[in-house]
Amino acid sequence: MTEWWVVPIWKTVHYIAAALVVGAAGLVDLRIFGIAKGLPLRPLQRLMWWAAGAFVVAAVSGYALLRINSANSLGPPINIAFAAKMLFLVLIGLNDILYVTTGLKREVDAVAAGESTSVSARIVAGVSLALWVGVVYWSRMLTFLAGAI
Amino acid sequence: MLQILQQWTETSAFFIWLRESPSIWAYPTVFFLHTLGLIFAAGASILIDACVLGAVPQLPLAPLARYFRAVWIAFALTIASGLIMLLSDLTRLDNRLFPVKMGFVAAAIVLTLVMRRRVERAGGSGVTRLCAAVSLVCWLGAITSGRYMAYLQ
Repeated sequence: MTEWWVVPIWKTVHYIAAALVVGAAGLVDLRIFGIAKGLPLRPLQRLMWWAAGAFVVAAVSGYALLRINSANSLGPPINIAFAAKMLFLVLIGLNDILYVTTGLKREVDAVAAGESTSVSARIVAGVSLALWVGVVYWSRMLTFLAGAI
Repeated sequence: MLQILQQWTETSAFFIWLRESPSIWAYPTVFFLHTLGLIFAAGASILIDACVLGAVPQLPLAPLARYFRAVWIAFALTIASGLIMLLSDLTRLDNRLFPVKMGFVAAAIVLTLVMRRRVERAGGSGVTRLCAAVSLVCWLGAITSGRYMAYLQ
């Protein structure tokens, strides 16, 4: 049997890792929108390496939580919130792959302190921000939508 | 005082709806806003603390102060939704971890206020670094006690 204090440990780890991922994405996206314009983007985007590390921690702790509570999984029966969360994470991955492979990331890296970013960079940042809000939404709905369908 | 509050939240149509409605737009939505605000406020604060402590070399620290307005907005969302959830179930006040969590949060707010002014003026001096380190610990403490609160009653 799992002890009562095991689940909150995994949840705490998952929460902190998620906060770092969403926090880093949020800070970079906000700078691309022109907030904290005094920051040069090349060093700021290094935050995404921290986010990548935190994402691995979130994935491992998330998998552990999934093993403990199978109601949160893809099922059967399917948890619509979990399916949507995974879909949103895939979309975020695609958005990031496009951001790097189209050369947009390199273009943004060259944006120095006080300079503005291009419209395409702002679109990618907006999509990223919206998808991360979605991931948090579906995560919160996991327990409420388990068994809804 | 607490009794008047209790009477109000027990009879108010809004709080009855919040407690009893099975709708996804009732309690789950308020809970979502709490999580969203918290995850951004805590995540951004922890990262700003880490930057002040030198986690990202070559990053100028003074412009980081401009982020605090966004952090405050997220924070206000967290406090407002948290207050609504607290009022909908005042027995949370009896939770042993509640004062611990609020202590961490209050300390984190004060440290953030102090740090903001110092970062804006001078970047990362010794006292500013100390504030950043303690604030980082407070955020981690707030999240940990918040998570454990749900499992203790």
